[in-house]
Amino acid sequence: MSDIVYTLKDAALSLDGNAGRVDILHGITLEVHRGESIGLIGPSGSGKSSLLMLMGGLEKPTGGTVTALGHDLGPMSEDDLARFRRTHMGVVFQSFHLIPTMTALENVATPLELAGDKNAYQKATAELEVVGLSHRADHYPAQMSGGEQQRVALARAAAPRPDILLADEPTGNLDGANGAAIIDLLFGLRDRHGATLILVTHSTALANQCDRIVRLSDGRVTDFEAAAE
Amino acid sequence: MSLRIASRFALRELRGGLRGFRIFLACLTLGVAAIAAIGTVRASIEAGLASEGAALLGGDAELDFTYRFADPDERAWMEEVSDAVSEIADFRSMAVVGDARALTQIKAVDTAYPLVGTTGLEPQMPLPDALGTQDGLPGAVMERVLIDRLGLSVGDTFALGTQDFRLSAVLTREPDGAASGFTLGPRTIVLTQGLANSSLLAPGTLFSTKYRLDLPPDADLERVSQDAANVFADMGVRWTDARNGAPGVSEFVDRLGAFLVLVGLSGLAVGGVGVSSAVQSYLSGKTSVIATLRTLGAERRTIFQTYFLQIGALAILGVMLGVALGTILPTLFAPLIEANLPIPAEFAVYPAPLFEAALYGLLTAFIFTLWPLARTENIRAATLFRDALETGRKLPAARYLFTIAAALALLLAAATWFSGTWRLTLMTAGGIAGALLLLAVTAQIIRVLSKRGKSLAHGHPKLRWALSAISGTREGAASIILSLGLGLSVLAAVGQIDGNLRNAITGNLPEVAPSYFFVDIQKDQIDGYTQRLENDPAVRRIQSAPMLRGIITKINDKPARETAGGHWVLEGDRGVTYSEQMPENTRLTEGNWWPRNYTGAPLISFAAEEAEEMGLKIGDTMTINILGRDITGTLTNFREVDFSSAGIGFILSMNPQALAGAPHSFISTVYAEEQAEAEILRDLASRYPNITAIRVRDAIDRVADALGSLAAATSYGAAVTILTGFLVLLGAAAAGTRARIYEAAVLKTLGASRRSIVGSFVIRSLLLGLCAGLVALACGIASGWAVSHYILDTSFSIIWPSALGIIVGGVAATSIASLVFIWGPLNAKPSNILRTQE
Repeated sequence: MSDIVYTLKDAALSLDGNAGRVDILHGITLEVHRGESIGLIGPSGSGKSSLLMLMGGLEKPTGGTVTALGHDLGPMSEDDLARFRRTHMGVVFQSFHLIPTMTALENVATPLELAGDKNAYQKATAELEVVGLSHRADHYPAQMSGGEQQRVALARAAAPRPDILLADEPTGNLDGANGAAIIDLLFGLRDRHGATLILVTHSTALANQCDRIVRLSDGRVTDFEAAAE
Repeated sequence: MSLRIASRFALRELRGGLRGFRIFLACLTLGVAAIAAIGTVRASIEAGLASEGAALLGGDAELDFTYRFADPDERAWMEEVSDAVSEIADFRSMAVVGDARALTQIKAVDTAYPLVGTTGLEPQMPLPDALGTQDGLPGAVMERVLIDRLGLSVGDTFALGTQDFRLSAVLTREPDGAASGFTLGPRTIVLTQGLANSSLLAPGTLFSTKYRLDLPPDADLERVSQDAANVFADMGVRWTDARNGAPGVSEFVDRLGAFLVLVGLSGLAVGGVGVSSAVQSYLSGKTSVIATLRTLGAERRTIFQTYFLQIGALAILGVMLGVALGTILPTLFAPLIEANLPIPAEFAVYPAPLFEAALYGLLTAFIFTLWPLARTENIRAATLFRDALETGRKLPAARYLFTIAAALALLLAAATWFSGTWRLTLMTAGGIAGALLLLAVTAQIIRVLSKRGKSLAHGHPKLRWALSAISGTREGAASIILSLGLGLSVLAAVGQIDGNLRNAITGNLPEVAPSYFFVDIQKDQIDGYTQRLENDPAVRRIQSAPMLRGIITKINDKPARETAGGHWVLEGDRGVTYSEQMPENTRLTEGNWWPRNYTGAPLISFAAEEAEEMGLKIGDTMTINILGRDITGTLTNFREVDFSSAGIGFILSMNPQALAGAPHSFISTVYAEEQAEAEILRDLASRYPNITAIRVRDAIDRVADALGSLAAATSYGAAVTILTGFLVLLGAAAAGTRARIYEAAVLKTLGASRRSIVGSFVIRSLLLGLCAGLVALACGIASGWAVSHYILDTSFSIIWPSALGIIVGGVAATSIASLVFIWGPLNAKPSNILRTQE
């Protein structure tokens, strides 16, 4: 198996909105290796989240190519991309995005169920234990704190043992202590499963925990640098 | 696999309860319940008519003769096939007490009457006793309304023709009354032999005779009816039997039921608008859940199935509730309904109408929810990251559009099948679709105009806020206009059609209609009669014509129904006249009038419009059975007949020689000053007691009353549509409450008083209600015009009281719906609201 997880060649993204066409990303070229952790940083509107969406197959490039695990994401259909994500990717959002009508356990089991895993609930229970929330398995998102919700979201992202973990400002809605705990868990999961981590953050300190930092400005990569650590 | 996961997800989502689905359920339940209830009542009446067939008919079978009694051979056949025969003559005449006269429908019976059932009399006594001769006077029984009109009491004397009768009892129940159909005068029953010296029932008098047969218990109705068809072939005799004892009533119930179900369908269509907006609003709240599932790897099919199953389960629940309600309500109110029905009904659970209602409910729910459901496919995972640039496709995929069209076709096919009339179904469906389209377009225009109008409303903040709210998509101007507009449209159409029909019948009377019809004027009376009226300065015009009645049996030697289908002219007997010369004011559209003193083969002049409808042409032959004798003539000319003037309008006229020898009487219309009417009537009645006078105004009042009941029944159907529309309106108002609370909080922060916020709400309600009312009125007027012009063939004018009522109704409904939800925004504390929105 190739060591390269992501290859982006001249990837561009433009979107049509009510106010007309907006160019968001221009000529992004990037390679990410297996097990590597990348911190995407840059000011608001620089295109960090959009780049994460391209890498997650949530948006299709309007120029260039995005290849993940040897698959060119551009020509894939929405459903093919969905199937690809549930097998190879886990996504963590700033706003958690747990499904409010499902318990913590059901939320974690959802991607496993979608992938047809017969042991979805055992695996989900184990994953909740890893994030320290086995006692909250039957609670609904509304009954949990922000920190707890993000831990459930982490368990949900990690449960299918994805090759790639995508995290969009996972601590953005949390206080300092909860944020630090989430980051520890995130990197712990990455280490345990050997996944590749793409992390969008405003925080240079957090980005410095990654193997490499990609700095963006106005939709372009302005700098690659090794993390400070 | 996908379906299993989808059903698991759907069940999890449904754990949240029915919040947000109350209007959805209410709309479906109400629509289905209305249709199920109408169907149940119709089925109950049909069952009642079927099981009481013999009682309604007054025997196992009936032979109906026009204008004559059965001859000895015919009578012999009847006696041979049956255990008992009863002979009844039915005709109109005048009941006279001193100077008081009233039109009555006389039933002259024999001692065998009634073969089935009992006659209700007050005081109670056997009918033969009531009708028997006492102190030299034959007895009679009369309906209460006629007794009161003549100022009679039991025991008093009155005259029919030249014979006096003794009123021996009040007729409270006529066992075979329902099958008699519409009559112009209240009923009087006497023995036929009592009329011997009345000078009524003379040759040429307009009467019909009915022979009721009590058949042996093992008689095969089908076989006996076949025998009758052979024996009485082409004799103008109609056969009815207990299998369908009151064909007119059952056909009427069937048609009215079918029409009301279609009106109910329009209620379901309004409900569909509510169902659709409820699903749309539910799914828009689920956008982030759907996007999350997409991120986690759910395929589009899984997402669609998850929500399709949820909505499907709720639709089934709504339909089941509707079916239950539609079954329970008629059963609960059965005693009340039975007490008010002139015909029998057997209330029970009838599966067929319930199935029909359930099918309509499920198909409507499917059609109206598939569109918003299909759009769930367009929700992409990226929605979680950016709302502003989300540009999903507006239209669902083609396969969904095709499925919606197929479901719509299935609904129409089902409605056509169940109603049995594709024309009415398609007209109703076209009306609903046209109204919905017009309303949707209007809603869009209102939004655009409100948007533009905002700039003109500078300096008028309340108006500007109202216009902003209307032009904003989330405020649901469209759902308010659609839901309220369709209900009001149905009501407006009913109001305009009913009003114009009444106008057509009563409105123009003074100018064109005669004061009286006189019938049964004998040949030897016509000259004296004409002389009396011509010498009267108060009489403006008299128009008299010989009158016979006949049934068209053949056209071009083939059975008439084969050639002209079920045209109304072929239903029963029609008036036939003859005339040497072309009458005054007659306009021929084709052909020529026969020459004077023509003595050749019979020639026929036929009404032009009816001829065209029946596909007749000059030179065709037509066989008319008059008094049991077939007369075949050739169509020589077509002429215009104006039925709306209420004058004499004969479909059929022949050359005099063709009808020579047939006994007949004359019919006459008299146009007189209103104040002279009573004197003319008194004078003619005393000179010619056998003549029957029908006051046109009274007859028209009876028809207008009957039409009024029909309009009322239709209005009840429309009321369900309005109620559903109001529910949808409440739903739309409730859905917008959160946005309005936020709006009000911001406005309050900026310094708006509660009064100005209320003012803005009121302006918005007035504008939307006014628009919905105006569009509904336009639809109502268009439908009214189309029905008047194409179906009723009458002139059309706007019925303003109904029109204004619709507009006021629209404004009132939106205002009430808006005021119900005004307290939230008014009492909203800006600090709380704005903090939670952050």
